[in-house]
Amino acid sequence: MAVSGFEGFEKRLELHFSGNDPLGLRRLRCDALAQVLDAVQCTVVSAVGNRYFDAYILSESSLFVYPQKMVLKTCGTTQLLRSVPCLLRHTADLGLRLRACRFSRGSFIFPRAQPFPHTSFAEEALYLEERLPPSLCFRRGCVLPSASSHSWHVYAAADDDEYVAAASPSTFTVEVCMTELDRSLARGFFRRKGDERSGDAAGVDMTDLTGIGGISPRALLCGFAFDPCGYSMNGLDRDRYSTIHVTPEDGHSYASFECTGGGEVIEWLRRAIGVFRPGEVSVSFCMAEGGDEKQVWSATSAALEPLGLSCRSQAAEGLPGAGIVTYQTFTARGK
Amino acid sequence: MAEKGSVIGCHTIAQWNRQLQLASESGKLVVVDFTSSWCGPCRMIAPFFAELANKFTDAIFLRVDVNELKRVALDCAIETLPTFIFLRQGNIVDRVVGARKDLLPKKIELHMRN
Repeated sequence: MAVSGFEGFEKRLELHFSGNDPLGLRRLRCDALAQVLDAVQCTVVSAVGNRYFDAYILSESSLFVYPQKMVLKTCGTTQLLRSVPCLLRHTADLGLRLRACRFSRGSFIFPRAQPFPHTSFAEEALYLEERLPPSLCFRRGCVLPSASSHSWHVYAAADDDEYVAAASPSTFTVEVCMTELDRSLARGFFRRKGDERSGDAAGVDMTDLTGIGGISPRALLCGFAFDPCGYSMNGLDRDRYSTIHVTPEDGHSYASFECTGGGEVIEWLRRAIGVFRPGEVSVSFCMAEGGDEKQVWSATSAALEPLGLSCRSQAAEGLPGAGIVTYQTFTARGK
Repeated sequence: MAEKGSVIGCHTIAQWNRQLQLASESGKLVVVDFTSSWCGPCRMIAPFFAELANKFTDAIFLRVDVNELKRVALDCAIETLPTFIFLRQGNIVDRVVGARKDLLPKKIELHMRN
C-alpha cells in the first residue's frame, strides 16, 4: 500500500430542486457553473447533452444536470461541499427551490490528505447543517458499517418527510467502489508513450479496448484518457446516466461505477466489476422508501458470487428524501 | 450577407439549402454546429466555435438549432448535442459528438487538407 497517492474515492452530492420552469437547472449559465466548479477546484474537460440532461466530465470526475436534479461527484482532494453555497445562490436567481440533498462517500484511502471540510464525516455533516436552508428540516447523517474499517457515510436532508427523490419506486441509483484492481487490466488505463492524441481521442480507444463499451451497449459513451494515466467516462441512455472513473496506479488502484435504472442495473454492475476484477468491492443502492433491501442484498450477492466475490457485510438505513440506502462489501475469495 | 469568418445561423430550410448550395459551388468545407437552447454544453462551446470560424476563413461555419430545423437534425441523425457535422459537396464526411475543444480544430484541419 502506497504511503500517499491520488485519492480515487469520490465524494458525491445529489441535489433535488423544484420550480415552474421545465428547463430548470439546465438554465444555469456557463459562468455560473464555472463558479461552482471553481469553488470545488475542478474544471470541465468534456461535455455533452441530450433531450433529458447534460453530462460533464470534470478534471476530477463528473457532473450531471437534469432540470430538477444535479449530481456532482469529485475525487482527489477536491472540496466538494464548497459547491453548496455557490449553487444555492445561483439556483435562487433562477427561482428554483431546494427540496432534498444527499451527500455520500466511502472511506478515503488517504484520509489525512483531505482538506476542510472533508477532514471527517462529522465536519462534513456540520458544514451541511450550517449551510442548507432551514426549509430542509428533516435531516439525518449515518455511517453504515462493514466487517472492516471501511464504511459508507451518508448525510441526507429533505423539506418533507414523505418527499421521495427517486423517479419511481423501481428506480435505483447504484454506486460501486472497487480497489485492488487486477494489475494487467489496470495497465489498460495508462496512456501509451509517444501517444500525442487528445484525451477524448485516446479515450475512445480506451473505452473499447478495456471492454467498458460492452457494459451498457445502448448508451452513448464519452470517455476521456488522462495523461499519464487515469480514465473517466459518462454514458447517456435516454434519461439515464452512467459513469466510470479509474485511478489505475498500483498500490492505490481504484475504479468506480455508478448508474441509474431499473432491475437491469444488477447486470450492468456485474459487467463493470468484470472489467476490473478487483480484490475488494463495495456496492451501495439508493431506492425509494418501500423498496426491499433484502432483495437488493441477495440479487447483488448472487450477481457477484460467480465473479469470485464473497459478501462480507450488508447494511441498510432509511434517510429523508433519499429513501433506503444499502451498503454491502465483498472480497475476492482466496484473499 | 454574413461577413467572412463568422458563424451563419440557419433558421429555415431555405437558408440551410442555400448555404449548402453555395458551399457545393465553391467546393468549400462546411462545418455545422447542431445546438439547442436547452443544452448547457452547447452554450459552453459556442464562443470557441465562433473563434474557429474566425480562424478558418476558407471553410463555411453554420449553426442549426435542432428545435427549429427538426427535419435537418433528423436527416443528419442528431441525438446528442452538440454534434458537429462536416460536409463536402453536400455529403457528410465526418462528425464530432460533444463539446470537444481538442478534437474540433484537428478535424477541421484534416478535412480542409482533403
